[in-house]
Amino acid sequence: MIMELLTSIARGVGLTLYVTGASLLIGGIIGLVLVGAARSPIGIIRGAATLYINIVRVIPPITWLFLIYFGLPQYALRLSTLQAAIVGFSIIASAFMAEIYRSGLLSIPDGQREAAHALGLGSITTVGHIITPQAFRVALPAIATYGIGLLKDSALASTIGVREITYYAQQSAKQTHEGLLSFVVAGALYIIISLVVALVARRVDLKLRRKIGVV
Amino acid sequence: MGLSFGTKAPPTALSGEVEVSGLGKKYGVIEVLKDVNLSMAEGEVVSVIGPSGAGKSTFLRCLNYLEKPSSGTIAIGGARVVAGEKLPDKTSLDHLRRVTGMVFQSFNLFPHLTVMENITLPQRKVLGSSREQAEEVANQLLRRVGLPEKAKAYPARLSGGQQQRIAIARALALSPKVMLFDEPTSALDPEIGLEVLAVMRDLADEGMTMLVVTHEMHFARDVSDRIMVMGNGGVLEIGPSQQVMSEPQNERTRQFLKAVLDR
Repeated sequence: MIMELLTSIARGVGLTLYVTGASLLIGGIIGLVLVGAARSPIGIIRGAATLYINIVRVIPPITWLFLIYFGLPQYALRLSTLQAAIVGFSIIASAFMAEIYRSGLLSIPDGQREAAHALGLGSITTVGHIITPQAFRVALPAIATYGIGLLKDSALASTIGVREITYYAQQSAKQTHEGLLSFVVAGALYIIISLVVALVARRVDLKLRRKIGVV
Repeated sequence: MGLSFGTKAPPTALSGEVEVSGLGKKYGVIEVLKDVNLSMAEGEVVSVIGPSGAGKSTFLRCLNYLEKPSSGTIAIGGARVVAGEKLPDKTSLDHLRRVTGMVFQSFNLFPHLTVMENITLPQRKVLGSSREQAEEVANQLLRRVGLPEKAKAYPARLSGGQQQRIAIARALALSPKVMLFDEPTSALDPEIGLEVLAVMRDLADEGMTMLVVTHEMHFARDVSDRIMVMGNGGVLEIGPSQQVMSEPQNERTRQFLKAVLDR
């Protein structure tokens, strides 16, 4: 029985990973733009970025999904369930990633930027070669933690019909009447994925730290 | 030469020369630098000493615009900048930073780059050197500061003294005309500081123009040609090193020297 449930529910692993990975990636890129905008010398850009970050973070993920999947078609475009989930989670991830980047940037001592300026490095080189790589190293554990959080949130995509782990768990529960076992299997799958993500992140983190000698 | 208005020698002879006049800096209404003037010949070494809060570091940091001075002019090695409300144009600013090299109290090596990359990255980005050219220069400089075997090491694996010597090599790699040192040994054990001072002494002997903010009185007296004493945002006095050390003219200088020499 458990093997049948497992093979049935594991069909959702692909979309769970896809929704999580794509949203983290897209949100991560938008987050970079946001953190840049939030530090802009132009007040209105700075204000808009800060407002976006704060508004996005206080609206619950499920509200975002319903807004995009059920709300948007009324006025604009109709997205597939998968598209709606990725758009929604990307928006949410962008705000959180921007905050993670910001704390990474704040951890870089002023001396690094000063040394770069004194050497005559331009601002693009300074940001690209000096600041960002260091900030990324500081932010990596927080990014991994957020990624695992997003993995769990991705279960909400089942509510709009995305065929990920929780969706299939619900299906199995209905069809087999093995509710407890179905969701235990789903939970186990989330645990396994989280462990793998955490393990990889930890290894990368340790490797980077050992390299720069701050173990 | 020696014409009216103190006109200096023609531009070619200005190389390596420092002409700072009327330099001032205000934070709001607080004046942290007041009318600082300094003129240095090529190859000259000037130590800047004085009590903390005198404005020594601020003065040095204004020279390459890590701090924005409020007034005055800065001319270094052919670069010339007039301070004002707005930042000078990018070309002048780049030029100013191009002719100055700076060494910080806290070293400020880039921790995510190896020693070799620390020294080659600025050469490649600022001078447009090829990797091979940059590495050749880096290897020469690493030998010069006595650390040829550390090319592949990351900064965190080095002692403070070694890091500071690498920082000196990194600045020298861009062939600056004037080196600015901001308390280069203050973060080091006295004994470790000596290896950094030895490198600086060699540099001075080779004819580098150097402006050194320091608390190392022996270095100030023995290595520098002149000592500039700062206090309260201004220059208290400036003169040949031996003379300032043995017969200070200013009362505040006498107090300061007595305090630091008697300890």
